Amino acid sequence: MSHAGNSRTPELPSRGASEKKQLFKELEFHQVRKASEHTAGDAYMVQKDAENNRLLAVLSDGLGSGVKANILANMTARMAIRFAETDTDFVHYAKVIMNALPVCQVRRIAYSTFTVVDCRPDGSVQIVEQDNPPFILLRNGEPAEIPFQEYSSEQGDYRKLRVYRFVAEPEDRIIFFSDGVTEAGMGSAPYPLGWRTQGCSAFVRGMVADNPEISARILAEQVVRAALQKEPDRKAHDDISCGVLYFRTPRQTLLASGPPFSEKKDREYADIIRSFPGTKIISGGTSADIVARELNLEITTDLFRFRRSNLPPISKMEGMDLVTEGILTLTEVLNLLQGKNPPIQPNAATLLKDQLINSDEIHILVGTKINQAHQDPNLPMELEIRRSLMRRIATTLQEDYFKEVRLEFI
Amino acid sequence: MKKVTVSICTGTTCYLMGGAHLLTINERLDPSTLDSVEFKGAHCLGLCSNESNGKPPFVKVNEHLVSDATLNKVLDAIRKELKEIQHVS
Ligand code: FES
Repeated sequence: MSHAGNSRTPELPSRGASEKKQLFKELEFHQVRKASEHTAGDAYMVQKDAENNRLLAVLSDGLGSGVKANILANMTARMAIRFAETDTDFVHYAKVIMNALPVCQVRRIAYSTFTVVDCRPDGSVQIVEQDNPPFILLRNGEPAEIPFQEYSSEQGDYRKLRVYRFVAEPEDRIIFFSDGVTEAGMGSAPYPLGWRTQGCSAFVRGMVADNPEISARILAEQVVRAALQKEPDRKAHDDISCGVLYFRTPRQTLLASGPPFSEKKDREYADIIRSFPGTKIISGGTSADIVARELNLEITTDLFRFRRSNLPPISKMEGMDLVTEGILTLTEVLNLLQGKNPPIQPNAATLLKDQLINSDEIHILVGTKINQAHQDPNLPMELEIRRSLMRRIATTLQEDYFKEVRLEFI
Repeated sequence: MKKVTVSICTGTTCYLMGGAHLLTINERLDPSTLDSVEFKGAHCLGLCSNESNGKPPFVKVNEHLVSDATLNKVLDAIRKELKEIQHVS
């Protein structure tokens, strides 16, 4: 995190400077259903509380498969989320859930099993498992042992509740899954007992060793895919579900657009951009020209590269990761963020959108000078003025992509 | 040999008002001419905010300003500049 701390500009509001820099939590989930069923019997629920930055994830596996299992699993997951949300001692409630849910009279097995992952903003993590396979914690690329406390069911059956508590460190990964993963391939010659937690653990360790920055999404997909490969005929004999929570140093991006309201601020504007400790994007010709002038940099425009893209070309400036035109490109970025199908060929807007999606923290710096050009009545009405356009991009990134967004006007 | 410099404005206004079509211009010149022309992209040249400059899109061919630019107008201007160069040399 050192890179984020040392070069912060004095101009930026010092919010967050004193509190410990929070790790970004990337949480992803992947699942394949039991081959013969149309409904998953594993339920997965996430609750993200933006206000206090708490993150809750529940994976529940219902007895059997299909609709019945789905209902059991959903019921359990929903209960767990509701209880956990109340911010009281969750272990107490986990016991309540366990004791409330009966064991199947016929098969003497639990109606549902679950894993609840609960992260607090200070990085403390509590994981409560009831009969799901134990999660894996990868720390420094190696599986780490975490001590736990165990509670037995009051109904005198075999069920147990395990409670783990620890503090997350940068680059920690928590991998949790249903028994569809650990039991994959069970009974086959190479895996008489299934893939087992050991097999999965060795697999994720290898994946991370090969690609230390592997995202939670890809890791979850790979675990599910590898489990499926163990199954005879590659057909899932049970739901195979995997969640990955990755604590990483946030990736920061600055998106600057529009000249500052007053020319006196041009220098400050250029300095904010220059000293930003992450990826730097300028959207807007005039803004780019101001930065180039203030910092004595040269701009070159690649006229012909994206000429079939219906968007103005991109430019290059030393130290900047992307320089594009403003309003047209940003309007298209918003469309793409809101689900418009991307064009086959990349263009300025797809490059910009990809960069935003790959970031965790986005600082949007909006210059508020009124651009004479856009007051031209000949221009189409749908050209939004910059401010509201940037606001909408910020809201979309926040609400639909769960990004940390800071909007600043200059 | 001295080259003709062609600056095509890719600012929002110029691009919208027809500048997008100008970006195929390198395909409209024969290869021998292409060698003596240098294309540059420019951000808003600042011309679009003042009506006395004419209408966007704007292109500069050496010092010569082409307003309301079309491919043909720009090609004409390039040929004219090329002729002058050849005269001088
Ligand atoms: S956009 Fe071309 S001169 Fe302003």
